[in-house]
Amino acid sequence: MFFQLSLYAALLLCVLGLVYKARQWLVVSVSPSDKKYRPGPRAAAVGRALVRAIFSARMWRFAKALMLDGFLQRRSLRHSVLAWLSHVFIFTGFAGLLLLHALGQQLVAPLVADYYPTLNPWLLLRDLFGGMVLSGVVLVICRRLLVPGLRATTRLTDRFAIGILAVVLLSGFALLAVKTNSAASYERMVQEYGMLDAPQEALALRSLWARDYGVVFPAGQTSDKADVLALGQRLNQERCVQCHARPQSAFLSYGLARVLRPLSLACDRWDAAQALYYIHFLACFIGLALLPFTKFMHLITAPLLMAFNAAVDRQGMDPAGRAFLRGLELDACAHCGTCSVHCSVATAYRQVPNKNILPSEKLASLAALVRGGGDAAQLAKVRQGAYMCSDCDRCTMLCPVGINLRDLWAALKEDLADAGLGSPYQEAAAAAQHKAEPSRQQEVVPVRMGRFQSTLKLSAQVGNFSECYSCKTCTNACPLVFRTEWPAQELDLLPHQVMFCLALGMQEEAMGARMVWDCLTCYQCQEACPNLVQVTDIFYELRNMASRAARG
Amino acid sequence: MTVMHYALFLGCKIPNHAPQYEISARRVLKALGVAVKDLPFNCCGYPLRDQYFEAFLLSAARNLALAEAKSLTMLTLCKCCLGSLKRAQSFLAESHSLRTMVNDELAREGLTYLGQGQVMHLQSVLYHQVGLERLADLVTRPFRNLGVATLYGCHALRPSRLTNFDNPYQPKIIDELLEVTGAASVAWEGRLRCCGAPLRNKNEALSLSIIGQRLQEFHDSGADILNVDCPHTLLQVQWAFERLEPAQSIKLLGGIALYPQLLGLAMGLRPSELALELNTPQPSQLVHFQAAPPAEATEAGADQDQARPIA
Repeated sequence: MFFQLSLYAALLLCVLGLVYKARQWLVVSVSPSDKKYRPGPRAAAVGRALVRAIFSARMWRFAKALMLDGFLQRRSLRHSVLAWLSHVFIFTGFAGLLLLHALGQQLVAPLVADYYPTLNPWLLLRDLFGGMVLSGVVLVICRRLLVPGLRATTRLTDRFAIGILAVVLLSGFALLAVKTNSAASYERMVQEYGMLDAPQEALALRSLWARDYGVVFPAGQTSDKADVLALGQRLNQERCVQCHARPQSAFLSYGLARVLRPLSLACDRWDAAQALYYIHFLACFIGLALLPFTKFMHLITAPLLMAFNAAVDRQGMDPAGRAFLRGLELDACAHCGTCSVHCSVATAYRQVPNKNILPSEKLASLAALVRGGGDAAQLAKVRQGAYMCSDCDRCTMLCPVGINLRDLWAALKEDLADAGLGSPYQEAAAAAQHKAEPSRQQEVVPVRMGRFQSTLKLSAQVGNFSECYSCKTCTNACPLVFRTEWPAQELDLLPHQVMFCLALGMQEEAMGARMVWDCLTCYQCQEACPNLVQVTDIFYELRNMASRAARG
Repeated sequence: MTVMHYALFLGCKIPNHAPQYEISARRVLKALGVAVKDLPFNCCGYPLRDQYFEAFLLSAARNLALAEAKSLTMLTLCKCCLGSLKRAQSFLAESHSLRTMVNDELAREGLTYLGQGQVMHLQSVLYHQVGLERLADLVTRPFRNLGVATLYGCHALRPSRLTNFDNPYQPKIIDELLEVTGAASVAWEGRLRCCGAPLRNKNEALSLSIIGQRLQEFHDSGADILNVDCPHTLLQVQWAFERLEPAQSIKLLGGIALYPQLLGLAMGLRPSELALELNTPQPSQLVHFQAAPPAEATEAGADQDQARPIA
């Protein structure tokens, strides 16, 4: 009764969650331009694209993608055999358990005459599949701890998924082990199926199960006499083996049972089997109920997206349909961390501790942003991550699910721009120019000698602005100066003037010059300087200093 | 001939934005017997240098350390990657504290930056390691009467004391490499100048006007095609080309080609092997400048002498 109730409750929650998610794909705007598309046109566009796909040669690609990319995980095999192995173990093992064990009565019983889950191959297969899932979970934990870069991406949803799988599997194995040893379970079975007449028959069968199958009985309930055991053997053949294979077939649970044997009588006293049973199915149901809001959601969204990608031409797709796909993509991430492990700028994360540099984390932030915004501090962090991306597209190419991250990053930048957050470079430039503005209005600018030197120490060599003797060779070599009609108005300061400013300690004036921010970094000034002043490198440092100041 | 080994550094732009550079470079290097290895490199640090100096340095150092661990010289295709890696090397050579900072981080994945590795651009490898003579031996279908305007690339040329690519005022290696293919390197205004790419995400208008100026100079030079060997310039030209009026863009630029594509064609490789069709604008007229196919190789060899370089 409780089992049924909790199952239906979990199913109901899961379905409600799925409906909620599917509705979000129709209403959320990942990119500001998606706001135009109401749920109706989105659904219609997706429907049209799918119908067109079904009645075309693309149907074949759809099926192939589902098979190769979905079930066989081809995309993940390409970059990591271990990642592929762990996923295949968990997926195949869990699917096997679901079909043969959880739904055994519903799916297998109608197909097989005399179906008893206690018979082989079911008993053996259950342990085999369980073992697969457990090995997969162990592999996942090892990878999460040991693969460089993966650890930083591990978050609550990963811990939850690993935890729930581990609880389900371990409670399952423990349950079977405890029941294998349990005298109480044995007695219940005999009561139900044994049909024993005389007390000596009960003693005989008990003795045999104690000797051969490891059931632990209280002292004095068994015998090791040869004739008793012979009778037990006969009874076992007559009454038991038709419906119950040797418990040794469940090789993992039996191994665990042997370990737990000293505790068996205590387990019976506390009814441990019952407790483990509750833990086992409740953990399953919690996982089921929360599926739409955890990484398990990718079980549904990932194959859906892969199939879409194979069947639908995104470039030529109705933008309303693309809006739907973007929404779906936010929920399709399996949070496997592949993108972050291979990210070109992941190394920068070690210097700039902002997880939004890593694609998998940036995607989670984008999803949160789309669903309900974020405070200013969070937005600033997301913006930093968005703009540190070097646009190498590795994440898009590697995503095992096929999320078009390139498209999502462009959408993220548009969202940020909508919230008033543009390029940090331009913002730093504007801030520096703003600071320099007052002194430009003055006839005479106060000089602060020597204050600059102490703050410019990124590298010993680039502090040599003071060696400038204002010969203007740098300025004459500069292509920016060359192409402007009124350099002083358009660039604020000329290269040699920037050096001069620095030598006079006028750091803010130098940092606020458009010359510094519009510099092409062609190094012609530095190359030409007769006194080896590192003009371009000094400009780079001024940009860095102003950026740091702007970041606060 | 001994086999040369390098660690191929592709950087961020080439694999997914300018794949023709990777395809043609790999194809040509293979034909020349130069073996390249792919290491799990990250960004060279160049895009981080404006605002995150330490992250730039660490990114560059990690790549350098990876190649050092394998005792391989890094071979870059991108000139901005070259400049970034070389600049990082010099920063690290100068400062003990920066070296310590970088090595503390690298130690976490078992890497160390010692500063003993070398970084070379593809063209330096072809010029200094493979050598013009060997290239000339392999040219079977040289170009005839083809005028090429080459853009040397700022971050390879300068600062010359660090990049060691060529003489920053009178460079010659790309010209000589072009001449080996039978093409003539044309003297033109934009040869040593900036393509505007570094400003593309910072000041779009200025960036576009600078590349527009280069294209005008190219047009004025009378050259048949533009040769660039940096993915940033390749993409910058494509970007500008797609933004200009169609009539104007065709007028300004007949076609663009990378050096390994030109060399490959002259070595008798097919345009599709060199992904020539991915270039924008396409140098579709190139085939008309080529000598007959290898069947008449002896004649082609004679023609090569007639194609006099102009530069």
